[in-house]
Amino acid sequence: MSGSSKTVKTGSAPAGFRDAALFTFVAILAGFGIELLTSGGGINVPGWPFNLVFLLLFGAVIFTVGLMFREHPVVSWLGGIPLGLSLIIGIALLSFIGGVLPQDKYPPDSLVAILRLNGMFSSWPFAMVILLFLFNLGLSLVWKTIPFRVANLQFMLFHGGFWLALSCGLLGSTQLERLVVPLYEGKESDVAYNRESETAIHLPFSIYLKDFQIDEYTPQFALYDPQHDQVIEPKSKLMPELRKGVKAEWDGLGSVTVLDYLVSALPGADGVPVPVEGKKGVPFAKVRIDENGKISEQWISSGGPQLKPLFVPMGNYFIVMADGAPKAFRSDVMLISKGGERKVQTLEVNKPVDFEGWKLYQMGYDEKAGRWSTLSLVEAVRDPWLPAVYLGFFMIMAGNVLYFWKGFKKMEEA
Amino acid sequence: MTLVEFPAIAFAAVVCWAVGSLLQIPAKNSKVSGSLSWLFLFAGTLVLVWFLASYWIALDRPPLRTLGETRLWYATLIPVVGFLVEYRYKIGWLKYYCMGLATVFLGINYMHPDVFEKALMPALQSPWFVPHVVVYLVGYVLLAASAVSGWHNVFLNFRGKRSTKGESMSHYLALLGFVLLTFGLIFGALWAKEAWGHYWTWDPKETWAFISWLAYLGYLHLVARKTDSRKLQWYLGLAFFVLLVCWFGVNYLPSAQNSVHTYSG
Ligand code: HEM
Repeated sequence: MSGSSKTVKTGSAPAGFRDAALFTFVAILAGFGIELLTSGGGINVPGWPFNLVFLLLFGAVIFTVGLMFREHPVVSWLGGIPLGLSLIIGIALLSFIGGVLPQDKYPPDSLVAILRLNGMFSSWPFAMVILLFLFNLGLSLVWKTIPFRVANLQFMLFHGGFWLALSCGLLGSTQLERLVVPLYEGKESDVAYNRESETAIHLPFSIYLKDFQIDEYTPQFALYDPQHDQVIEPKSKLMPELRKGVKAEWDGLGSVTVLDYLVSALPGADGVPVPVEGKKGVPFAKVRIDENGKISEQWISSGGPQLKPLFVPMGNYFIVMADGAPKAFRSDVMLISKGGERKVQTLEVNKPVDFEGWKLYQMGYDEKAGRWSTLSLVEAVRDPWLPAVYLGFFMIMAGNVLYFWKGFKKMEEA
Repeated sequence: MTLVEFPAIAFAAVVCWAVGSLLQIPAKNSKVSGSLSWLFLFAGTLVLVWFLASYWIALDRPPLRTLGETRLWYATLIPVVGFLVEYRYKIGWLKYYCMGLATVFLGINYMHPDVFEKALMPALQSPWFVPHVVVYLVGYVLLAASAVSGWHNVFLNFRGKRSTKGESMSHYLALLGFVLLTFGLIFGALWAKEAWGHYWTWDPKETWAFISWLAYLGYLHLVARKTDSRKLQWYLGLAFFVLLVCWFGVNYLPSAQNSVHTYSG
């Protein structure tokens, strides 16, 4: 520390940016040093209940130091903006590495792995900077909160929210559970898999899959060029949707008009498709092909598990029907607790369901089988620290609303 | 309306802006040319608003999914910021930069037309979709304007013509932009929890959103330290490049190979 002779105000820094930058740099170096010694082992965040104990102790230290040594120049530097700024830049630089290098497996003896540049967000340098940053932010929070002044509310909400979200998000990460639950139609199961350790776990409840459904967007027809393995764009650039009456034209080749469209049908005795109800059928379309005056009529279809797709030639090309992209998929399930409680629910993307402290998400299905999948992949997530993180988020947003307001007020004066 | 009409629309908007800008010259002495000029400037924007609205209807989903579509919003909104700044601060030059930027964005879209596709993957069908992206877009628009204004101030300082009014403008634009960036970040996190089970996974797009947020957080703390506002104009000008990486660049980084934000193409 340079011990400069500038007058010391509370919360402002006796020493300037240079000390702060140096300090941050040393902290990062120390972190990389630990990674070198442990061959990139990374940090093991303590699990329950030690994470809570750590948080409480850390908070108590910040309070004590902040309140008892407030006037001490070193402490006021530790809670000051220059250090905060240097640490923000430190976090940004480390995040930069983590945002450029794939956070993925590397050969264990490569430099990237030894320094844990491929696991930046669970590395010692990152943890060191975050810890110091929380200390810095915590001190400034204590000083702005005690004594309490309404004028500081915006600061408390924004910075307090950030402190809470960051600390609880990182410390709670050891207790976050994300498990994959494979379900088959007509079967009940309580087996879940951890993706990383690939171990099977029994959930405290079981799930019975009644039905799995996929809605698809309307199929489209396209002109396929087998020589170049590509789809030729029609004149309108619009991939034509299959609807009765739709006509698509291709320059110099001809046109195709949809005469009839059956959402769900099966081939009848004479080869002509017959509409059917339910999951079994596949879409069929009758098209009129106009190949520069040469007219023909044909059925096309995207096919299904037991049905070959029907496509028809047009010159050197093929008119094909492409399945629509999945629009929605959902599982009708019965959730059965160990106590015998039963709950009928529908799981759908973006619409998770809460049950016994777990959140259940529709995750995937057998993509090869597509619409005919009888497998539904559900994700079961438990995150006991979520409420604390969300409280942090809402505090940040509340602080921001105040900021917005104050910012505008100042603008009026300007 | 579809992308087939896009070139004509883009051309019409740019012509309106050009005519409106040229009419600003006689507008100094004549009220009629002044009104006429503004009529053309607004018309350029209105043409784009009209296109966006009918494109939305034609797509049957908000046109906010691809980078090209977000550029369309950008081209529509950024001149509006220029007009508002002139109305509020009586600073006229910003609107020309804004229309210039918008023209560049329309140009990029003209050279790389999007594939017209209606399908919206299930994870994007959420009430969070529109607020998340719109908040981000408006934030980007404001921060772009703040960067342009920052560079302009740097230039003025070079020529020894410092404008404190200009400096406070770039500051307020950055401040508002930061507020929106924060909301966008948190909306994204809340949405991610609903759609993918966790609010934060250090996905490259998330990481870069976090880095750009930190860049502006750094700016606000430099302001709090009463840093010389002339130096901060450089900072604002440069910070926008970080935002650009987050917006366009992420797809080209080595880390993008395992990004979940693959829809942005
Ligand atoms: C379920 C989660 C999310 C979904 C479905 C989602 C979706 C989208 C979409 C559709 C866009 C516009 C297209 C684009 O420009 O790439 C977008 C933009 C963006 N998202 Fe997300 N997002 C999610 C979560 C997040 C999270 C957690 C962050 C974290 C910080 C984030 C940051 C951004 C940023 C910075 C942009 C750029 C804004 C723009 O260019 O329009 N997103 N997101």
